[in-house]
Amino acid sequence: MPLSSSLNIAIVGAGLVGRLLAYQLSQLNVKISLFEANPLNIHTEANQLDAAAFTAAGMIAPISEALEADLHSYYLGKTSLALWPKIVSELNLANATGINYQHSGSLIICHPQDRAELQHFSRQVQKLATATGAVFTALNGDDIRQLEPGLPNSFEQGILLPEEAHIDNRALMSSLLQQCLRKGVKLIDNTIADIDNNQVHYQNQRHSYDWVFDCRGIGAKKHRTELRGVRGELLRVHCPDVNFNRPIRLMHPRYQLYLVPKPGRQYVIGATQIESEDRSPMTVQSMLELCSAMYSINPAFAEARILEQNTNLRPALNDNRASVLICDRHVSINGLFRHGYLIAPAIVQSVIRWLEGQQCQHHKILFSTAEQSSA
Amino acid sequence: MQHTDTLTLYDSQFNSRFLLGTALYRSPAQMSEAIKASGSEFITLSLRRQNPQHNDGEAFWQLIKETGCKLLPNTAGCKSAKEAINLAEMSRELFATDWIKLEVIGDDYNLQPDPFELVIAARELIKRGFKVLPYCTDDLILCLRLRDAGCQVLMPWGAPIGTGQGLLNKYHLQSLRERITDIPLIIDAGLGSPSQAAAALEMGYDAVLLNTAVAKADDPALMAKAFSLAISAGRSAYLAGLMQRRQTATPSTPVLGQPFWHQQ
Repeated sequence: MPLSSSLNIAIVGAGLVGRLLAYQLSQLNVKISLFEANPLNIHTEANQLDAAAFTAAGMIAPISEALEADLHSYYLGKTSLALWPKIVSELNLANATGINYQHSGSLIICHPQDRAELQHFSRQVQKLATATGAVFTALNGDDIRQLEPGLPNSFEQGILLPEEAHIDNRALMSSLLQQCLRKGVKLIDNTIADIDNNQVHYQNQRHSYDWVFDCRGIGAKKHRTELRGVRGELLRVHCPDVNFNRPIRLMHPRYQLYLVPKPGRQYVIGATQIESEDRSPMTVQSMLELCSAMYSINPAFAEARILEQNTNLRPALNDNRASVLICDRHVSINGLFRHGYLIAPAIVQSVIRWLEGQQCQHHKILFSTAEQSSA
Repeated sequence: MQHTDTLTLYDSQFNSRFLLGTALYRSPAQMSEAIKASGSEFITLSLRRQNPQHNDGEAFWQLIKETGCKLLPNTAGCKSAKEAINLAEMSRELFATDWIKLEVIGDDYNLQPDPFELVIAARELIKRGFKVLPYCTDDLILCLRLRDAGCQVLMPWGAPIGTGQGLLNKYHLQSLRERITDIPLIIDAGLGSPSQAAAALEMGYDAVLLNTAVAKADDPALMAKAFSLAISAGRSAYLAGLMQRRQTATPSTPVLGQPFWHQQ
């Protein structure tokens, strides 16, 4: 059933899910109000660093992530991998500034002394491949350097996951917002909004909608008590001397470091995942670990310039899985954890299908309903 | 039938001889399931960079409390006595417990305990009223010094943390057990499989503490249960009394069918 253009929808939270949902619904000519607590100046990116979607590395890595999480994220990720190219090419047709989306796989490597970690990873990948048909290739030193000439000779074993992709997340975020505005989405930013079933309260106003989609991430704690923030720490560096074509994951006994290339020879490096809602800046220890790992991947990183250090809070539920919770007219989409770019398109697609009265393949693992609280 | 003896650590009694870590699970929900399946009553957790006073990690903290287990905060990541003492004091305040698993790391790569700093920290913390469970190597002299410092439990490693190598130096561990009989000894770290845990208990060790082998298993809850059964089996075997190894085979059934003259 196609959506009625008389539908009036509020989306609270202009992070990745909020924007993607607003964008895709606006394509269907639905009337949308998009609320955001932070000021959004669409011409600058810098003041949007608060959202996890901005600081994220933008990997779409269903296999690597499934090994750390579970099969749900794998299947949602596979669907998203199929959806991203279309989303990106539509946006790139409509906007002057292109979004860089690369489907070049990701490379898993380790230092010789950590070979057991790679073996463990390899065993897990094989198991996943048997269960799902996921594709992987074991690599020797020559293969590795053929793919990434920038890697030193000390890396003699690796795994290529050819299906994985990565996206320039900042370009995507600003492109989504521009398109939303062009399509007539009403943006109410710099405004804290409260949700009460189908109503949104803000600045002493109260408006009713057909549906209210709550995409606030960690900001939705009041409605989802189980929600917690998981701290992530990331560095963004500029290094003209190094050229990598795809995300690289470095296996280590205590943490997995990922290094993701961004346009303009910039790189995002992250590793840490800390059970804390502390948003204070990166610790010296994390900085040391990230920098030394980066340096060990290629000594030319010694001359890189550190552009940003970022910490973010990834919104997570107890099982670390995403969930769409329907409570009458209030639909809460949350718990994307560190899998935003991996699973958001699949979730948004499922939500739109549901609005249209259909159920997609992921419906069962995503959706649940709750009674409306009497308060 | 199962053994019914309890484990006494300082002034507390425990039915379970399995101490479990709370790190490295794929999700908090998975951690809860594993703790439940383990039957553990004493779980370790790291204070590092958690700030309960700011309600940090409140949801995670709530899950930990719901397990009903006694908490054993650790000083993971500390590299000097001073650092460990400070962290122990913070833990005491935040978690409202005198118990501390004392870790002072001497080497970044294999996380080997620094014996010198460990003794200094243990001595000071005992003086300040902590119940100290030091993570140490299997060196006899170090263990004696820690006992002299007032530790009423010692936790020698089986192998370096997270390696899953099992009881690497059985000779040392055996002689440690034979020499130190007045206080409980717990194998902490390095265990990879339930059979290794059973072997530790058979040897007379009082309990085991581990994390990685359970948390990184494909099915952590199932692995937690497997360890729990093995630990229980090992303890029962120790109490039941293991037979002596012999060089020659002795038949367990008399060889009735053979004529006497054949046996000489």
